[in-house]
Amino acid sequence: MSNIIEKIFEDKFAKIAFLTLLFLYTVILFANFIAPYSNTYSNRDMSYAPPSKIYTIDESGRLSWPYTYNYIREYEPSLMQTVYKQDRSKKYYIKLLTNGHLLSVENGGRLYLLGTDINGRDVFSRLLYGGRISMTVGFLALLIVFPIGLLYGGISGYFGGIVDTLMMRFAEAVMAIPSFYLLIILAAILPGGMTSVQRFALIVVILALIGWAGFARVVRGMVLSIKNEEFVLAEKTIGASDLRIILKHILPQTTSYVIIAMTLSVPSYILAESGLSFLGLGIQQPDASWGNMLKEAQEFTNILYRPWLLTPGLLIFTAVLSFNLLGDSIRDILDPKSQKRT
Amino acid sequence: MKRFITTIIVISIAGLVLVACIKRDVPEKVSVKFKTPDLEEIIYPADEKNVTIDGVDYLQSQAPCGKFGGELVISTIGEGPKTFNPCNTKDATSSTMAGMMYDGLVTTNPRTGRVMPLLAKSVEISGNDYIVNLRQGVKWTDGTLITADDVMYTYKEIVFKGYGNPSAMDAMKVDGQLPDLVKLDNYTVKFTTSKPFAPFLRQLSYPIVPKHYFKPYSDKGESVFNAFLTPDTNPKEIVSGGAFKLKEYVAAQRVVFERNPDYYKINLKNEKLPYLNKLVYLIVGDSNNEILKFEAKEIDALALRGSNVARYKLKEAASDYIIYNLGPDTGTLFLVINLNSRRDKNCKPYVEPKKQCWFLNRDFRAAIDWAIDRESMVRNIASGVAEPLFTAESLNSIYLNKYIKGHPCDLDVAQKSLEKAGFVLKNGILYDSCGNRVEFDLYTNAGNLEREALGVMVKQDLENLGMKVNFKPVEFNSLVNKLTNTHDWDMAIMGLTGSPLEPHDGKNVWTSSGSLHMFNQRPAGYAIDDRFDWEKELDKIFSEGALKLTYEERKPLYDRYQTIIYNQKPIIYLYSPIRITAVRKKVKNVFPTSLSGLLYNLDEIYIQ
Repeated sequence: MSNIIEKIFEDKFAKIAFLTLLFLYTVILFANFIAPYSNTYSNRDMSYAPPSKIYTIDESGRLSWPYTYNYIREYEPSLMQTVYKQDRSKKYYIKLLTNGHLLSVENGGRLYLLGTDINGRDVFSRLLYGGRISMTVGFLALLIVFPIGLLYGGISGYFGGIVDTLMMRFAEAVMAIPSFYLLIILAAILPGGMTSVQRFALIVVILALIGWAGFARVVRGMVLSIKNEEFVLAEKTIGASDLRIILKHILPQTTSYVIIAMTLSVPSYILAESGLSFLGLGIQQPDASWGNMLKEAQEFTNILYRPWLLTPGLLIFTAVLSFNLLGDSIRDILDPKSQKRT
Repeated sequence: MKRFITTIIVISIAGLVLVACIKRDVPEKVSVKFKTPDLEEIIYPADEKNVTIDGVDYLQSQAPCGKFGGELVISTIGEGPKTFNPCNTKDATSSTMAGMMYDGLVTTNPRTGRVMPLLAKSVEISGNDYIVNLRQGVKWTDGTLITADDVMYTYKEIVFKGYGNPSAMDAMKVDGQLPDLVKLDNYTVKFTTSKPFAPFLRQLSYPIVPKHYFKPYSDKGESVFNAFLTPDTNPKEIVSGGAFKLKEYVAAQRVVFERNPDYYKINLKNEKLPYLNKLVYLIVGDSNNEILKFEAKEIDALALRGSNVARYKLKEAASDYIIYNLGPDTGTLFLVINLNSRRDKNCKPYVEPKKQCWFLNRDFRAAIDWAIDRESMVRNIASGVAEPLFTAESLNSIYLNKYIKGHPCDLDVAQKSLEKAGFVLKNGILYDSCGNRVEFDLYTNAGNLEREALGVMVKQDLENLGMKVNFKPVEFNSLVNKLTNTHDWDMAIMGLTGSPLEPHDGKNVWTSSGSLHMFNQRPAGYAIDDRFDWEKELDKIFSEGALKLTYEERKPLYDRYQTIIYNQKPIIYLYSPIRITAVRKKVKNVFPTSLSGLLYNLDEIYIQ
């Protein structure tokens, strides 16, 4: 394992991707500490406030400890327009490591690093809390997909014959279930008493329950060739049970494929989360996730005038790209047959 | 070499970061000059007059004369019309399209909201009799005259039989009885209702269809009739009588109408209207798509919502469009509370008994009303383009009770009201008199940015009172199912549109047996009388109000119903959006009104 990490660091892209992911996971792990505001914070007088400007050189041109100004909202009735202006009467200095927060501002000041959303909630803080759901949901699915897929594919490939035929036809039937329609129906019939996180976890579990079949087919193919190796024959002659042979001797041979498939399937669940939340099937307000935060940027004027609402999209992009790059180079490292990228 | 490049990259990145961190404090110049274009005063033309020329009864428009020719392109959101049969329309787009092609006997005056004659020359009312005089010499597009036979056919063989959309038949019934209809001569018919019934006159706006064209299909039974005039009908075959006739329909793209050269409306120079050669409806998927089409100058008019208004207002001075503020819309957004205390088939109460105690308590509902911050909702969610709402009638309704002034958000009043109802606040947590924590669910339909943001705000407002609110956006159909069938909900945020002219249209919401009586929905055919006193009074108001004929007699009744809702608060109204529309300057004869919107007079509009 340490060998793999060492090799990752030899590849430039993989190294950047690995460090980016490490950074993202560290940040969401310490979200409570890093985020300036709590999960439930909202200031309804500051709906769609732009990001706070932080100054390090004051008006007279001298270097200063970073400070910011508050915004005041004004409404112009003849234009029906809301304008944010800086209240330049008082400076608020940035404070580090106070009240259990990494970044905060003097009393009375407001620090919105990435502006606020429609309900006046700090986008930066919500990005961190939302990342907790968006970045971990994939692993929940992996916990279901991989054990089922490995065991199912292993048994099917090892026994072969009629067992194999039946099991594979069943897997194909599972693959043919149209997942999108299933989701829309599920959204309508799931019991109303669940919180949105529970609901979403259930949806992911169900997605995973129909998503293992493709993986099982590949594992079965690998097992078909491994079971004819001499060491398997040796196991059989000393009288090991079938299950023991599958679990202890055949499946470990597929480890490299499993690791690659795992890294490459996490991003698909991150994307699935954002897609579902965008459609209103995933994580629901007031809980945060990158997908439902990005939904706000759907409005035409928000893209034009409030570009900070697009930051969740940027993070989804970064996370997915990093996982793909990492998966790619792990494949190079673990698969001796393929050519190393030059 | 490689090392050198890496060093340069690292140094430049470090430099950029440094530049980003060191920011000089220079006062921002907010140089938004609020220059609004001078408003042209809209001079509304007088009402149309009847003019007879060569034995033909024309309707003369009093709007300024314009230029013939040109085309107007507007949009409709959704999937486009599902039918062109005016009797069978069940969605707004289809009825707009069919409305272009078929006129009713009467129509609504776009300014006053009163009923005025259209295809009828006049309507004489005496007691329960409505004598309708038709225009003479007016023709269908195939040259056949429009006569009393067409009217008789439309009502007797379509409406009274419940063909097409059966709601027209229900609306015509007075005390469950259809009116009598007799033909007096070729151009006169008489309706007789069993009782005086105020909303009846307005029902005569039902489109009149040509007997010779429709009868072969209606004779074959209801299913054949309902499938008649589907969107794929050849436009050349269609016989119609409205200002425009169908020219082309391209599924999911556009509906093209052309001018009916033989329409009965004329301008002040006695030239036949309409001015427009072509009227095109582009079918667009959603409002974002519509905005992009307007930006690309593909459409000539646009309804603006929320934050878009500011963007277009700012650009108005230098643009080729004018923005009209039509005042509050008929749409309302509200919070509805479940007052249902019945049990289902298994004797299980729909709403938990402890919650019933809270919801049935008027003071509890009043506390919620006082805790809701409508001002912030209007400012944040509607970007200021809305008005706080407190009444059951929408703000542009001619029956609006102007004495209900509403109130600001006041947590102290809310808390006092809760104390009065026996609730106790301990450490910021609210308990009822039995010691139960006050906790309930709040539903709305998922995927709607506005309602989800509203839900978040209502949740915060109520949590200020110490309640625990579980906000649950659910899929639209499951929400409707909860409200109408399973009744297992506590509170919900919903929206409805009403009629600004006829409060009787709200009877399905307010009468105790109504199909949309959401806050205390009874199953169909429910026989036990368990109405609250105020529900009984509402029932009485709605049955009496329909029987009174004049506005002056009806107004106090409908004022009373709004007062009851405001006092009892089964539904807590939040706000009503303001209707803002943009239309290109080249479109002339535009006289927007709050009641009818922007482009109600398509036959008078011309392009310069």
